[in-house]
Amino acid sequence: MLSLRDVRAGYGEREVLHGITIDFATGQNYCILGPNGCGKTTLIRAIAALIPSSGEVLLDGAPIRRMKRREIAARIAVMSQVTQVYFPFTVYDTVMLGRYQHMSGKLFGRPSSEDRDMVERCLQSVRLDALRDRRIDELSGGQRQRVFLAQALAQDPEVILLDEPTNHLDVRHQVELIDYLHRWSADRRHAVIGVLHDINLALRLTENAVFMKDGRIERAGAFDEIADAAFLRDVYETDIAGYMRDSFEKWRNVR
Amino acid sequence: MRLKAKMAALAALALIALALGAAIGSVGISPRVLLSVLGSKLFGAALPEDIGEITVSILWTIRFPRAVCAFLIGAALAASGTVMQSVLRNPLASSYTLGVSSGASLFAAVVIVTGFTLPVLERYTLPLFGFLGGLGTVFLAMALAMRFNRNLENQTVILVGMVLSLFVNALLTLVTALSAERLSQLVFWQMGSFSALTWADAGLVLPILLLSLAALLRYSRELDLMTFGEEQALSAGVDLRRVKFLLIAVSALLTGTAVSLAGVIGFVDLIAPHVVRRIFGSNHRAVVPMSALFGGAFMVLADLLARTVLAPQELPVGAVTSLIGAPFFAYVYFRRERR
Repeated sequence: MLSLRDVRAGYGEREVLHGITIDFATGQNYCILGPNGCGKTTLIRAIAALIPSSGEVLLDGAPIRRMKRREIAARIAVMSQVTQVYFPFTVYDTVMLGRYQHMSGKLFGRPSSEDRDMVERCLQSVRLDALRDRRIDELSGGQRQRVFLAQALAQDPEVILLDEPTNHLDVRHQVELIDYLHRWSADRRHAVIGVLHDINLALRLTENAVFMKDGRIERAGAFDEIADAAFLRDVYETDIAGYMRDSFEKWRNVR
Repeated sequence: MRLKAKMAALAALALIALALGAAIGSVGISPRVLLSVLGSKLFGAALPEDIGEITVSILWTIRFPRAVCAFLIGAALAASGTVMQSVLRNPLASSYTLGVSSGASLFAAVVIVTGFTLPVLERYTLPLFGFLGGLGTVFLAMALAMRFNRNLENQTVILVGMVLSLFVNALLTLVTALSAERLSQLVFWQMGSFSALTWADAGLVLPILLLSLAALLRYSRELDLMTFGEEQALSAGVDLRRVKFLLIAVSALLTGTAVSLAGVIGFVDLIAPHVVRRIFGSNHRAVVPMSALFGGAFMVLADLLARTVLAPQELPVGAVTSLIGAPFFAYVYFRRERR
């Protein structure tokens, strides 16, 4: 169980999250939804302790702020959109870096056979084994995103936090990524908490929705139960439901 | 070519550079003489009779220590540059950007102007103060940066470092301008030279270089992760603040030592990591030692040019590295950008 108690965070003087309290049940996927600037990304960063926050983030009752970085990394991985790669590592080396917290206790941290097996499995599961020796700056956006997915998987976490990882990906790669994570979390031992811009994509991952607006949680629960047209219009300040229905009408006759 | 073969090739090139640095000069020395003198000095082998004392003296008290010092200082600067580029995730970052060189220069200049000497340490006064100045400036930069931004984000560190560097440089200009007697000595020292260095200086740099390289290799994986960005490193489990602080301190130690002994010598720390990454990839376990080797070899050759091109007049080695380095760097950098 991942619990947030009155979590406040922001950048400099500006508070973006105004006291978030919520429980994420173990083994359940969640999507965090809301308009631009509502604090979705800040929430992900506060959960992973990437930015300072007040209040408590508790992992199975233990406050994350008292945990060592490596302890957090052993349980939570973050996957975001890495846009610029300054120093070109190979695919294999990049995925191996996901094993950091498993290796860092040892002097000069040589990968063990367990580390290498894990990296092999991750490369295969995202279909990158053929590209293992390629430099990541020579890959397409979709391939590169798979590399960072494999890196997060190699970390072997219980929870993967997604921070809009599908930006700049075409539809096929977006759907592939989400479907993969859906399968990965199906065993109920793993879970994904994702910020995804595209509501349809988010709902493909999970029905558990958390709606945010202006740094606060508006509603949380099963999408069908909490979202109605008026509520969505209020959150997004536009007629989302009408827009979706219009889109659906356009697709109805596509064969 | 396999990685190990490339490493061996670079090590061989570095040895050749060192040999050239020792052999070429106003008195040319053949490889046979070079090896004989080395054999005699290092392993006590008998010296052939045709090799005179003057030759031995030129090689052993002037050429070799100078080439070795150039190599060690080049290696220190290159390793330092590698760390700064990766930690600050900026291909243009270096100890100069962070004010390390300025701080080292200022402290060293004050020592030169006042003629101050520490008891016992005597000739190490200058390098010691240079190092303290460099380290002090970078810690001041980071302390100031932390006031603005608790997570020590790169942009803040670089900006604060640049501002501080300009400020410290202004102080250095003041010190230089106000010390009429020592003006030429100060100006020449600031341009960089290996002419006054001895075996004792090499003995001072070597342990600092080796210890620093060992520390950098120990943190090579953290360096790898940091090149992907701070959040990536944090979420992979890197204790970012501590590691970043430590790596920047090691980098400052390397540059501070180099600057205080040889003056300000630019571009080696920028070029070496760039070239090495092209050949050896990005993994820091290879990049750190190979940058040191490349930087060392480059510096020996730059010094060779500095003292032979207009012989008997000697050019400041800093000018040579910049004359070669600036266009070379522009070529390497923009070719990459265009791709």
